[in-house]
Amino acid sequence: MAAIGVHLGCTSACVAVYKDGRAGVVANDAGDRVTPAVVAYSENEEIVGLAAKQSRIRNISNTVMKVKQILGRSSNDPQAQKYITESKCLVIEKNGKLRYEIDTGEETRFVNPEDVVRLIFSKMKETAHSVLGSDANDVVITVPFDFGEKQKNALGEAARAAGFNVLRLIHEPSAALLAYGIGQDSPNGKSNILVFKLGGTSLSLSVMEVNSGIYRVLSTNTDDNIGGAHFTETLAQYLASEFQRSFKHDVKGNARAMMKLMNSAEVAKHSLSTLGSANCFLDSLYEGQDFDCNVSRARFELLCSPLFNKCIEAIRGLLDQSGFTADDINKVVLCGGSSRIPKLQQLIKDLFPAVELLNSIPPDEVIPIGAAIEAGILIGKENLLVEDSLMIECSARDILVKGVDESGASRFTVLFPSGTPLPARRQHTLQAPGSISSVCLELYESDGKNSAKEETKFAQVVLQDLDKKENGLRDILAVLTMKRDGSLHVTCTDQETGKCEAISIEVAS
Amino acid sequence: MLLLPSPADGRGTAITHALTSASTLCRVEPVGRWFEAFVKRRNRNASASFQELEDKKELSEESEDEELQLEEFAMLKTLDPKDWKNQDHYAVLGLGHVRYKATQRQIKAAHKAMVLKHHPDKRKAAGEPIKEGDNDYFTCITKAYEMLSDPVKRRAFNSVDPTFDNSVPSKSEAKDNFFEVFSPVFERNSRWSNKKNVPKLGDMNSSFEDVDIFYSFWYNFDSWREFSYLDEEEKEKAECRDERRWIEKQNRATRAQRKKEEMNRIRTLVDNAYSCDPRIKKFKEEEKAKKEAEKKAKAEAKRKEQEAKEKQRQAELEAARLAKEKEEEEVRQQALLAKKEKDLQKKAIKKERQKLRNSCKTWNHFSDNEAERVKMMEEVEKLCDRLELASLQCLNETLTSCTKEVGKAALEKQIEEINEQIRKEKEEAEAHMRQASKNTEKSAGGGGNGSKNWSEDDLQLLIKAVNLFPAGTNSRWEVIANYMNIHSSSGVKRTAKDVIGKAKSLQKLDPHQKDDINKKAFDKFKKEHGVVPQADNAAPSERFEGPYTDFTPWTTEEQKLLEQALKTYPVNTPERWEKIAEAVPGRTKKDCMKRYKELVEMVKAKKAAQEQVLNASRAKK
Repeated sequence: MAAIGVHLGCTSACVAVYKDGRAGVVANDAGDRVTPAVVAYSENEEIVGLAAKQSRIRNISNTVMKVKQILGRSSNDPQAQKYITESKCLVIEKNGKLRYEIDTGEETRFVNPEDVVRLIFSKMKETAHSVLGSDANDVVITVPFDFGEKQKNALGEAARAAGFNVLRLIHEPSAALLAYGIGQDSPNGKSNILVFKLGGTSLSLSVMEVNSGIYRVLSTNTDDNIGGAHFTETLAQYLASEFQRSFKHDVKGNARAMMKLMNSAEVAKHSLSTLGSANCFLDSLYEGQDFDCNVSRARFELLCSPLFNKCIEAIRGLLDQSGFTADDINKVVLCGGSSRIPKLQQLIKDLFPAVELLNSIPPDEVIPIGAAIEAGILIGKENLLVEDSLMIECSARDILVKGVDESGASRFTVLFPSGTPLPARRQHTLQAPGSISSVCLELYESDGKNSAKEETKFAQVVLQDLDKKENGLRDILAVLTMKRDGSLHVTCTDQETGKCEAISIEVAS
Repeated sequence: MLLLPSPADGRGTAITHALTSASTLCRVEPVGRWFEAFVKRRNRNASASFQELEDKKELSEESEDEELQLEEFAMLKTLDPKDWKNQDHYAVLGLGHVRYKATQRQIKAAHKAMVLKHHPDKRKAAGEPIKEGDNDYFTCITKAYEMLSDPVKRRAFNSVDPTFDNSVPSKSEAKDNFFEVFSPVFERNSRWSNKKNVPKLGDMNSSFEDVDIFYSFWYNFDSWREFSYLDEEEKEKAECRDERRWIEKQNRATRAQRKKEEMNRIRTLVDNAYSCDPRIKKFKEEEKAKKEAEKKAKAEAKRKEQEAKEKQRQAELEAARLAKEKEEEEVRQQALLAKKEKDLQKKAIKKERQKLRNSCKTWNHFSDNEAERVKMMEEVEKLCDRLELASLQCLNETLTSCTKEVGKAALEKQIEEINEQIRKEKEEAEAHMRQASKNTEKSAGGGGNGSKNWSEDDLQLLIKAVNLFPAGTNSRWEVIANYMNIHSSSGVKRTAKDVIGKAKSLQKLDPHQKDDINKKAFDKFKKEHGVVPQADNAAPSERFEGPYTDFTPWTTEEQKLLEQALKTYPVNTPERWEKIAEAVPGRTKKDCMKRYKELVEMVKAKKAAQEQVLNASRAKK
């Protein structure tokens, strides 16, 4: 059974397949693992991918880029309006829907954004079929967390039109978590994970909670003004000023020259992620003048430092907004091509000194791999996902037990964390000194931060008349089971004698 | 390292207070295998954790069961192992009292106990006699365990459990105590069901839904009972494949037969129960009663509706009648009033006229001369005719109040005005007539060489059409135009107006030309003014209907002039018809009178027809 995961970004798309228990990205026919999400229309054909991107120097008005930003939006959407003003390809409103006006010489065509997306999906399908054979059409597609119902529908329709069988649309941060298998090994425990996605045009940050293997988005934030394109833009501007310095020509007003510089800057930016310096060479950039320039990584980092700072500020802002400190985050997942930038990774590491930075998978492949894994989970299942199964009951408060540590001070330990999907059972082996004949398990509830007040104690379980044993510890097995309505059942067993005590606590109505 | 303390105050297990907050609904991401597992679990309405709890409970129950006493089978030692098929394996293992309800664990335990007790080695030690080989009764225990430990074989044995009561109560048995008779039977048979949670028979008070579920369950009963145990031939005994196959076939056939019988048995049971069930009877009656009631209610509603409708209709009719009566009354009153007023006015005008004549007479008609006097009298008569009541009164007043000269002047002025007025009217009429005749000429000319060319063929066609659809045809000219359009070869679309115009222009042509045209038409050479021989009296106009069409027909212009003249010269004008004839050029007095009569007759006929239609429609109402 093979399945496909597709990630469609604003600037590029990537496809991964799940086969024989493993997920991997598939390179397209040009040998690239990531395909630019660009569609160029010419007189008799539609070109998708790198060729379209490179030919935009000559064919800018018939090249559709960043189609994801307009998909499923109406003309009164501010984001769509912004896109329309920025787009080099003419966008008009026809019959209440936005269309691209493509003039290919003979006739003027009106192209739906959905059609553009369909072409990109068809390309991704072809790529996936190159390793799977043509009968695998089951796909999971990722969408940004802020995608609305309309946009999801439009995307799903486009994928179906391209011949895909859409199993599910999942959110990009969840896919990133799944790619690293976070919480998938054992369904116990709770952790908070920051997903840092720096894509082509936007930065989106999410704080996710993983509890019992189930993901929840706690808070999320998207900034449309930082992205890979902005780094390239900065570098291209620098190159233009270098050109001006050496040849006294201002190329900033020349669209075609700037486009060439952009292409060159992008290549340079990519190589700077691995190399210390990169060379830009452009034949006859302007009035027959060749341009040759060397950019060092330090120069690039200096140029882009305001953007880096913006990213870090955004992380800080999100942590504040969700009420976390850097210590509350257990892991950071990097995704999106631009998070390859070494400087950026360094800055994030500085911000979370004690945290594991997950970047073992190439960042621009994280999300499609997650989607492919999800597709592998879903394939062959009767897909009965209904909207209301997304809302599940979770425990509202931490359940803690009070004990003493070696020094004799009181301490609390969480036995049953808040946010656990119900029903659930948690099992803990606690220890008590062997010198005492009765053991008391004092249970407290609290809404976070591992501390509880005396008045939040709601029950105690006492095991009496245990055999005393000198110089040793006894193991007490505590099993907490919470039902969907939130009522709790606690069982305590002394492992040695098998003595058992159980209580049930109802929820105050 | 966390250590649990000992209870502070020596209290035992206790709940201080209930949990303060219930569970909260959270939105989760539909991602990952744990989510899938969670949703699956929830859709099955079971939870892993609670499932485990229940398993544990079962475990503990079983451990209790192990202590269950085995009932020693008294005949055990007398059993012949060769006859194992007819033995009760449960009884052999000492589980005769639990039978099919025994768990695997219990069977295992029972077997162990039996082996410990009856194993030949043990008995040998105790000095009991033991038969050689397989003939010892211990073989029965082994066989019984073999049968019961294998779920498939055990099911086969359970299916033919010798203690099971296969009987089905007949209808007569259950006449009075349905529930007592059938309840245990269904209870008994429910063990064959593949599905768990077999619905209970219930009692007299069970709801319709419950009963329905019960019977639909039993009519679609899915039984696991099978009869492989009763196979006469054993497959394992066969020596070759073909024989095995034959045995298998035989067995399958007998099994199917038995299964069928079993299904029939269940079916009979359910049928019997269904036909005896007092609740079904009750429900049926209720249903019937309900339907009847509904029917009644419907009929009642319909009747009421009809009554209401009838009432409303009556009321409406009454109201309409009253309104009509009232209206009629009003009209009558008004007519009476109008008549009275008219009479009064007439009287007044007569009086005034008389007065004028008298005053004129008293003044000797302002003249001594006889001839002049006659003329004056004539003028005065004219005045009397034409003047309104008010002006007459005014004139009379002047005449009576002042001297002869002033009176004469006023009278003469009045006369002059009247004459002027008459002259003007005449002039107007003439001008109008001139204008009209001009128009006709023009239109006649226009019709001839109008915008649409009338080819010769078309003209022939037109004439044919005109003859085909004589005057009086419903929307005659439209029909003719349509006919022309269909049959014409020229392809020109003609409207009714065009056709009328052309037909009229054809009529206007003078006879000489007509003859000429006719001749040429016959030769089919004419190009423009083609006409047909019959055209002069066949192409008609709406105005010429009637018996006098052999005279020169009246044109619209002449008709108009005539009408104008009739208005100009009121009924009591002396030599009225001569004057009218004068006003209509080209017509004699006789012609005019005839036409007038015709018109009057037409109007009368029209009125009569209208009245008839009106009466008819009223009668319909």
